[in-house]
Amino acid sequence: MMKIKDIVAILDAEVLVGENYLNQEIEEFAASDLLSDVLALSKENFLLLTSLTSQQVVRTAEIAGGIGVVFVRGKTPEQEAIGLARSHHIPLLMTSKSTFDACRKIVEAKNKQEKL
Amino acid sequence: MTVLHSREKLTLANELIYEIKVQDAMTRKLIFFSQDATFREIQSSLKKNRISGVPILDKTKNIVGIVSIDNVITALDKDYINDKVKNYMTRQVITIPQNYSLVSAIKKFEHYKFGRLPVTKNARSSEVIGILTMGDILNCLLVSIQTIAEKVEKKEAQNTRLSEKMIEQVHKKHLRFEVKKADFDNAGRVASIIRKYLQKLNIDKQILRRVAIICYEAEMNINIHSLGGYITVEVDESNIMITAIDYGPGIPDVEEAMKPGFTTASEQIRALGFGAGMGLPNIKKCADHLDLESSMETGTILKATIYLGE
Repeated sequence: MMKIKDIVAILDAEVLVGENYLNQEIEEFAASDLLSDVLALSKENFLLLTSLTSQQVVRTAEIAGGIGVVFVRGKTPEQEAIGLARSHHIPLLMTSKSTFDACRKIVEAKNKQEKL
Repeated sequence: MTVLHSREKLTLANELIYEIKVQDAMTRKLIFFSQDATFREIQSSLKKNRISGVPILDKTKNIVGIVSIDNVITALDKDYINDKVKNYMTRQVITIPQNYSLVSAIKKFEHYKFGRLPVTKNARSSEVIGILTMGDILNCLLVSIQTIAEKVEKKEAQNTRLSEKMIEQVHKKHLRFEVKKADFDNAGRVASIIRKYLQKLNIDKQILRRVAIICYEAEMNINIHSLGGYITVEVDESNIMITAIDYGPGIPDVEEAMKPGFTTASEQIRALGFGAGMGLPNIKKCADHLDLESSMETGTILKATIYLGE
């Protein structure tokens, strides 16, 4: 099982908010720019990769039980999003990688982990 | 402004430099000298206060000149460091009125390549009330950006208190929330409050999630598509009932609206990540029972029920 702090290393990501909440285990990964699709996920405790930067991204994670958000392509979220994330203890990560590359890196790391 | 590296933050900083006035960013604690001061005195003051220049003021605090570190170096070089600044100081001083926005200050800094600008009471006055550096501007911008995040945090804390207050009230009472149209900044507030409220009631985690998603989608629907409305939530021993009512304009074809992927949302809304045409299908998926009535005259009534029993 992967933790958010593993993802920080895998994606070479910057932790924008929530340094203290990186030890949570990720049950599911989601990559989407459609928030309703995120709400339609069947599992909780997911990590969301997105190129959206609005505060609604964090709100959606909160409502649907997400445990972290990764902003791809070096996009920084709105300040409102940062405030929401702080209130709900949701770590926000930023990586310069594209969604595709980020997903690929995560899958590679997962495969490696399973082999061990 | 190299500290604010990303495009998005730059846009925000751009907005702020127009909004924030010089008086909000300037240093009010003014270090100044009269024209009878010597370069030596000024040199030690610059060193002590770690600054690179001081305004020279007359008795009524009107500006008559400015002495920068460059002037001091020249004085050392040309050997008049112990002379009064009166005859050597820069008399053509560029100032900025306190009610100007930061953008004019930044333009002046860029144009004249100065490190500091004396701030005057108004455009016609030469009375100095403060001093402004690029460092002051940067500082002020960073604080303003930080404040935006803090405001949201405070609002969320209020929501938590609100949900706690509700628990003290009677269980079976309706919880009623107004939802305004196109109020995207507050979208999700109702869902968030209800989620916290149900959490306190020790409702099962999965059920909690379903209720929150229904509320959120219903809230977004009212927000995006309607003229405004409200959401009520009722909790009793066996059910949670969520009712979302709006004041119009109504859904022309309910059957079509229930189809996954069908959407009438604008590009702007899709850019926010909404309008995927999954709202009503998501609600249906999360609810044990769903009633949807819509009239082109009175608006839409959505009733979703979740069973708490086995």
